[in-house]
Amino acid sequence: MIGFDGKVLLLTGAQGGIARATAERFLAHGARLLLTDLDGTALEELGRRLDPTGGRVLTMAQDVTVPADALRAVTAAVERFGRLDLLVTAAGLYPEALVRDMPDDEWRRVIAVNLDGVFFTTRAAIPALAPGGAIVNVASMAGHRGSRAHAHYAAAKGAVTSFTRSLALELAPAIRVNAVAPGLIDTPMVQPLMAAKGEQLLAQTPLGRLGRADEVADAVAFLCSDRASFITGETLHVNGGLHIAG
Amino acid sequence: MTTNSSHAGRVVLVTGAGQGIGAAIARAFVAQGAAVAVLDLDHERAALTADELEAAGGTAIGVAADVADRASLAAALDRVVHRLGTVDILINNAGISPKHDGAPAPIDAMDEAEWRRVVDVNLTGAFLAAKLVVPAMQAKGWGSIVNMSSVAGRTYFPSIGVHYAATKAALIGFTRHLAGDLGPHGITVNAIAPGRIRTPLIASVPAAVNEAAIQATPLRRLGEPIDVATAALWLTSADAGFVTGQVVDVAGGWLMT
Repeated sequence: MIGFDGKVLLLTGAQGGIARATAERFLAHGARLLLTDLDGTALEELGRRLDPTGGRVLTMAQDVTVPADALRAVTAAVERFGRLDLLVTAAGLYPEALVRDMPDDEWRRVIAVNLDGVFFTTRAAIPALAPGGAIVNVASMAGHRGSRAHAHYAAAKGAVTSFTRSLALELAPAIRVNAVAPGLIDTPMVQPLMAAKGEQLLAQTPLGRLGRADEVADAVAFLCSDRASFITGETLHVNGGLHIAG
Repeated sequence: MTTNSSHAGRVVLVTGAGQGIGAAIARAFVAQGAAVAVLDLDHERAALTADELEAAGGTAIGVAADVADRASLAAALDRVVHRLGTVDILINNAGISPKHDGAPAPIDAMDEAEWRRVVDVNLTGAFLAAKLVVPAMQAKGWGSIVNMSSVAGRTYFPSIGVHYAATKAALIGFTRHLAGDLGPHGITVNAIAPGRIRTPLIASVPAAVNEAAIQATPLRRLGEPIDVATAALWLTSADAGFVTGQVVDVAGGWLMT
């Protein structure tokens, strides 16, 4: 029932673990993709691996903190594929610092990538998104339960959840806007955290394991699909029960 | 991953499946290859829905039971297990929302028997059904339960009685704690909180109430039973294997959590 034939997806932060799995899923479900990330050269290789013919996957560099890059990405998607239906904002930065030691520029950089980046890309995409389209923002469990030594990241992700709801109100009924809030997912991003207190975190997770990136990708696909056609403004948690609240 | 038959081989028990959202859920699971037990208090409705699903080429049986009555439910479950096998997926959908001339009773006029009956069906029924099916799920190391809550269990919702709202809120607590308890057994437990969905229940209130609800809903329509059914399908599919203890609003943006 989930099918994206003829649909075009713009995916930011495409090199990330969850984003790569998302690209694979949407490709398998028939979508055409514009993948963006900071390093356009590295991304080309991912694009070739996903789609050796190059017919359904386009890649380009996008610094999500630069408004002009967002416009270039949206324009490229429309020029290449003729339309834009789906936007998934997965670009994110997750450095570690206690608030008392946090440098100004690190705070600004994390807010810029994780929050400003969502705003710039969304603002650029709105005029191009076809009616019936959907946006899914990648939020985080950190935005709901806090995250020690990642206050900037958690603050930005909490803001993304509120942004999602407000945008859902603005774009309804033509475009649905939702968020996924991943918990601990087996990607390079969580490796330092798992090394420090993985055993304790898994013991607190009812399902007793890390999530897989493709399990988050499936949630993103569900929210973008017709199966979720009456769901908007919602945050879907994919965390194995580590955070059960709200 | 192909989603053409996401639930092939699964045995699904849907309570309150004789009409409305429950029937749509039963239909959706059959369409995805599951064998479905259509349970309803009304024997005729259960049989009719099951017949319709069988006629469409699916596997379904109708069973009559009062979910609030342990003996009645246990007897029905025995028939399900005998005919289809042990239950893999439980959809606790049975619910009542008594109205009087299209409106719920205010608390000072709410009959105690009515309060108890709503609690028995909407809350105790979910408890009894889960209690009866969980041992087999634990034995298999896999299972999935979806409880039908409501946006009325999360916030004030016009034209809903306090008994109904209280049970729907209680189902959320039930969902969260059961998810924590059963997670280590490979069983996921989630809830769906529908907004105003076009069902016989909704048809019992004045049209103006529904029109006001549409105007307050960002997607500008009532939900359809299939909108809830597709969420239930997803939550019980392999795609949602890491999702547990959650409440998914299917409300067109009327409530956003």
